[in-house]
Amino acid sequence: MRKVLLLGLMLFLVNAVAFAQDRVITGTVSSTEDGQGVPGATVLVKGTTIGTATDIDGRYSISVPAGNNVLVFTFVGLRSQEVSIGNRSTINVALESDITALGEVIVTGYGTQPKREVTGAVSSVKGDAIQNLPLQSFDRALQGRAAGVQVRSSNGLPGGAVNIRIRGVGSINAGNEPLFIVDGVQLNNQSNASFTQSNPLAFLNPNDIESMEILKDAASAAIYGSQAANGVVIITTKKGKQGKAKFEFNAFSGETQPLKYLDVLGGSEWYAMRRDALINSGNTAPEANSLNTMGRLPSNWASLTRAQLDALGLALPTYDWQREVIGLGRLQNYELSVSGGDDKTTFFLSGSYNYQQASIRPIDFERGTVRLALTHNASDRLSIETNINLSTFQQNVPFAVEGSFLGNPAFSASAVLPHNNPYNEDGTYNLAIAGVLGQNIVQVNDYNSGIQRTNTVVGNLITNYKILDNLTFRSLFGLDYRLLQGDNYRDPRTPDGAGVVGRSSVQSDWRTRFITTQTLNWNKSYNGVHNLSSILGIEYLSETREGISGAGIGFPTFQFRTIQSAATPESITGFWTGYRRASAFGSVNYDYKKKYLVTATARYDGSSRFGINNRYGWFPSIRVGWSLVEEEFLKSSSSVSEMKLRASYGLTGNDQIGNFAARGLYGGGGNYSGSAGILPSSLANFNLGWETNNTLNFGLDYGFFDNRVTGSLDVFDRRTKNLLLDQPILWINGFGSIANNVGELQNRGIEFEITTVNVDKNGFRWNTSFNFSKIDNQIVKLYDNLKFLPANPGIAIGQPVGRDGGGANFIALYAGVNPATGRPMWYDINGNITYLPLAADRQYFGSNLATTFGGMNNTFSYKGFEFTAFFTYEYGGIISDGQYSFLRENGTRLALNALREVNDRSWRTPGQITDIPRNLTTNAGNETRGASRNSGSAALLRSDFIRLAQVTLAYNFKPSLISKIGLSRARVYMQGLNLWTYADYPGYDPEFTGAGTGATPLTKNYTLGVQIGF
Amino acid sequence: MKLFNKAFLFLALTGTLLVSSCDSLLDVQPRQSIDANGALSTPDAMNAALNSVYAKLRSTRNYGRDLLAMSDALADVGFTTSNSGRLISENNNQPGAHFQAGFWQNSYFAINEANLILDGLTAVKGASAAQLARWEGEAKFLRALYYFDLVKVYSYIPTAIFQPGVIDQGGIPVVTVGVISSGEALGRKVARSTIDQVYAQIYKDLEDAKRLLPTGRGVQYASGAAASALLSRVALYRGDYPKVVAESTTALASSVGTVLSGSAYVNGWRSPVHPESMFEVSFALATESIGVNESLQSSYTALLNLTNKNSQGGWGDFIPNARVRNFFGLAALQIGTPATDNNNWDVTRNADVRGQLYTTGNTIRGAGRQIECTKFMSKSGFAYADNVPVIRKSEMHLNRAEANYHLKNESAALTELNAFKALRGLPAVTLSGAALLEEILLERFKEFAFEGHRFFDLKRYGRAIVKTTPAVNLAFDDFKILPPIPQREVDGNPNIKQNKGY
Repeated sequence: MRKVLLLGLMLFLVNAVAFAQDRVITGTVSSTEDGQGVPGATVLVKGTTIGTATDIDGRYSISVPAGNNVLVFTFVGLRSQEVSIGNRSTINVALESDITALGEVIVTGYGTQPKREVTGAVSSVKGDAIQNLPLQSFDRALQGRAAGVQVRSSNGLPGGAVNIRIRGVGSINAGNEPLFIVDGVQLNNQSNASFTQSNPLAFLNPNDIESMEILKDAASAAIYGSQAANGVVIITTKKGKQGKAKFEFNAFSGETQPLKYLDVLGGSEWYAMRRDALINSGNTAPEANSLNTMGRLPSNWASLTRAQLDALGLALPTYDWQREVIGLGRLQNYELSVSGGDDKTTFFLSGSYNYQQASIRPIDFERGTVRLALTHNASDRLSIETNINLSTFQQNVPFAVEGSFLGNPAFSASAVLPHNNPYNEDGTYNLAIAGVLGQNIVQVNDYNSGIQRTNTVVGNLITNYKILDNLTFRSLFGLDYRLLQGDNYRDPRTPDGAGVVGRSSVQSDWRTRFITTQTLNWNKSYNGVHNLSSILGIEYLSETREGISGAGIGFPTFQFRTIQSAATPESITGFWTGYRRASAFGSVNYDYKKKYLVTATARYDGSSRFGINNRYGWFPSIRVGWSLVEEEFLKSSSSVSEMKLRASYGLTGNDQIGNFAARGLYGGGGNYSGSAGILPSSLANFNLGWETNNTLNFGLDYGFFDNRVTGSLDVFDRRTKNLLLDQPILWINGFGSIANNVGELQNRGIEFEITTVNVDKNGFRWNTSFNFSKIDNQIVKLYDNLKFLPANPGIAIGQPVGRDGGGANFIALYAGVNPATGRPMWYDINGNITYLPLAADRQYFGSNLATTFGGMNNTFSYKGFEFTAFFTYEYGGIISDGQYSFLRENGTRLALNALREVNDRSWRTPGQITDIPRNLTTNAGNETRGASRNSGSAALLRSDFIRLAQVTLAYNFKPSLISKIGLSRARVYMQGLNLWTYADYPGYDPEFTGAGTGATPLTKNYTLGVQIGF
Repeated sequence: MKLFNKAFLFLALTGTLLVSSCDSLLDVQPRQSIDANGALSTPDAMNAALNSVYAKLRSTRNYGRDLLAMSDALADVGFTTSNSGRLISENNNQPGAHFQAGFWQNSYFAINEANLILDGLTAVKGASAAQLARWEGEAKFLRALYYFDLVKVYSYIPTAIFQPGVIDQGGIPVVTVGVISSGEALGRKVARSTIDQVYAQIYKDLEDAKRLLPTGRGVQYASGAAASALLSRVALYRGDYPKVVAESTTALASSVGTVLSGSAYVNGWRSPVHPESMFEVSFALATESIGVNESLQSSYTALLNLTNKNSQGGWGDFIPNARVRNFFGLAALQIGTPATDNNNWDVTRNADVRGQLYTTGNTIRGAGRQIECTKFMSKSGFAYADNVPVIRKSEMHLNRAEANYHLKNESAALTELNAFKALRGLPAVTLSGAALLEEILLERFKEFAFEGHRFFDLKRYGRAIVKTTPAVNLAFDDFKILPPIPQREVDGNPNIKQNKGY
């Protein structure tokens, strides 16, 4: 004991001596994320200007003057750490990712800004949040991640369309798509695939994304002018970091499963249902007629009694067509990336392969990508940079992507009569399918084939030149090139190919977009309190699109499946279109001590799309902020760590109309008797200009308890004026509509985001992020004092528009079934019962646009284990689902199968209260002098749902453990997508867009994955 | 600072370049369209523009289907099989199940194109007098045909106007000046003309067409003879019987079309161009096929062709009812074994050669093997496309017989009727008075079954539509005799009156 004390005293003395002089501290700065050294991190002796930077391996050595005992380690993107030196001479620190977000830098229009200084409504989604999700395009992954951003898959086609709406729907006839920018290249995200849906954004491997910023308010987006009305999504891809080459291998594989099978009737049940419908219709031989409809009437039926026939019907078998064509699929993903560099050059190189099947054969998606990001500092002043994304993906196409086609598996699987056996006894396809769906969808989808291929190059070349220390010139040249190719074969052995003895259709579609942006960035600080920066730039964009497509018919045998074998060319056509845009823009940022913040921007755009009198437009904006935490009264607060009030107002434009919409044209068409025709195709509107979004936004960013609770609150009023509306023209005047700037639409909303660290104790950490948006959408004004649009009365003042700018539901209110007779009833405009509602009885019933939506993410981590549960939700949409409507007919109009729950509810006995009418076969299943059973609001559904969109359980191996085998990082995980959905919904799934008839439903995905860094 | 100046200069220069030459920077011209201004100034453009007016006749809403199959479904010609679910509500005469908005739209678009051609005649450079006459004559014929089809559908027919001015809301809007500028398109709000004004306009156009088109260029194009033939029908609808006799006689005397008899008549339905046609709508290319869902062939028969009845064809949605089957003595007949082979089935027939135009279909669709009409069997050489006869020369005999009856020339009427019956293999009849008229109308029913005449033949006599299958009795005073004018045309035009009941 004494020895110990003595030793301690000696050490103290030594230290005391050391304090008197400089001492050298060495060590390594690493990142907790991957355990790798952080090159270029700053090590500063607190309270001095003495500092150094870490070398390529993260090592440093610093001389600390006497009397100083604290080192500050900082690196962009990582949380700073202060470490007391004590008596150590080696200090290794591991910096954590800066998850509190407020120190982060946000990409804004043509520049970046610390999040603390952002005064607009900008949501940021980090690449980490969406990493390794088995989703083909990043837009899909945005669902539920950011307030104000509403995302819906159009269907379950991998790489299919995604409907993304930022702050509601701002346009009726022009597009509602946001502007997507990848590495400074403004993309064209229109899809023109003929044979399936191919989402152009699926070109990018989502794992190559560093961050996504969503500019929501007009003021933030206004610097993009006429492109920005629907918001802007800026994608920044991963770049190399200084340091030795880091390899990362990433793989996952798994399976897709159907979300749901519909519970439809079996063979004997369908027989009985039809029999009873025939009885209700006064048929005298209901058993025989029911059997006949099912193609099972024996030839000797006349000699059989009704009871015998009934026994035949009740003995009919049941085959599960849904499980025959809707089942499990495979998915897999492999990636390898290398990044690194020295102080002159950094690089990031990645390659990836992704494959995913839908639940319905043969639908799939297969993609390969190569990406290169390279930065080279040629001198202190000059740097060059390039980002190149090469991508090809192809999709096997089903008979049809959507619609009530007999051969469409997604349509027919639930609707084909269930007593049909898909196969004959000898295993061959049964081609005698009874009922209106007389095709064997198994055979049709096995024999037909088709493929859609999308080849994309998105790249840029950037030169930065530091003219002065505070003045940089940046020159960007970008290219967005896409070639879409497809072919589709109707096999002559299938019904649709038989008539024409096979048909091959082909398509090629090229889209080329050049963009160049030249900017000057300048900043200056006066006395350290007045900070001023500005951007000045010009931009030019040119896009052309051309295509050619054709079809040939008459094939020698089914083995010949390409168009050159066709005997007869059936059709051949092509097109060309293009547009150009020239712009100048600028912005000025000013802040006083980071306390009062002001940004003003302006853009002047000229576009070839608009009328010659109205080609140019101004898009100014202003935003102001007051950072309360910088004020003395909050600076010392221990509970408030961030508090900023924001206000902004700006103008943005929407130019998403046809390239020649302003022109009066005669186009080709109307060929007759083998010679060519022309016809007037559009009316000229010399005054046609953009529609303007004026958005007023108030926001609050907050952080409490050392940013353990952070988030923001925004309220906005977005007014779209001079709507690009297809103003109806009386048909008697020879045209259907003219593109005009009339009318006004309003989206008012509130957005709320909160992120909390609920528990952070003993290595256990629980984070929650939640966001909520509520948007009221309504039409404020039309033209000529009209209350509604003559051609589309769903477009009416005071009513919301739909997701795609379509009208509100405008139909008669369903009153259920008359309990005495089983007849369906509706309300007329006076609230009285009617069997035959008229046009005048229609009422408004909301639209398919959900009013409330958002998401919630929970992450639990403990000693390398990580558990994530992510929910999305949507409320308030009123939709019609074509597939459900067909099935809701309950087999009365057509010989289609029916939902069990619908049939169970159908009216049978007087006094029964129900919503499904009695079954009938006459008059297309409807009462004579009665509206059809799905009329009015009878078949409308609520599209509300809460979905467990993602569950991940991961384990990160300890860096110390795996470094022994040469690895810097190892992570294994299990993941599930869409595992649980809460929805009171009778169809496949409430998440779809379009009519819903025969749409391929979304899938559940299960994956197992591994990430290895070395 | 030097560098700053350079950069600024660069930016300023580029900016100036951009702004100063903006108009050329933004200059993009369409490549597949031409400016509407002056588009019709050449003879080639005129020819092409005229083609489009013809092409619009092919629409499913016009002669592609509705003017034949849907019109007959509204009448008492047949019943629906529910195979595809089409034409059921029309066959049941449900409210609103009638000619669709697209028929109005397509027809008025065609009329506007015809008007633009007529307006542009004076501005064509280098056109010969013969060309000018042809364009004017054909455009006027087409305009008359579209107006006639519209007015017979949307309005009462002059020979039977129900409660004129009370239930009857007049004719249809007549426009004879083309619209090509937005001002006119947004501003012109034309009211319905009277029925008589519409018929007068049709007369005027057809008289001009007769004069301007002494010779035709094939029955797929308008000709003077076709104009006479159409005039004969228009006059019959108008109750202008002397005109019917005159124009029928002119048409019959022309070299356009041949009245066929016996098996030649049946074969006429198997040839791409019907020899009886005085004017027919051409389906010349495979792309023009209306396809498996709504083509006439598919509407009428489940057969793909007559050579192999087992091949899967269309839907066979609308098939002859008992009355039509009885006209020709049609009953299913097994002609071989096994019975499961559709080729082993045909029908029994009486002496009427028109029975040859009906046979049994196949068992592929839900309703099973039915007796179907085979007037449209892909004669154009590709699936689901047939040239559609608009006026067959045979009609001239029946028009003239009917007119002569009304003109009290009963013997001329009877003679013509019997001569016609002989062409179809039927014995002569001896009838007079109302019975003679009934026989003429019955002959018309038999001759034009599945060709879209019956609904209007009943309508112009103010008769009820009586069906047993489905059991429907549509009285002439029922508002469902007329379809609604498309609601958008009423909502957007304060001057137009909707038909009663809608």
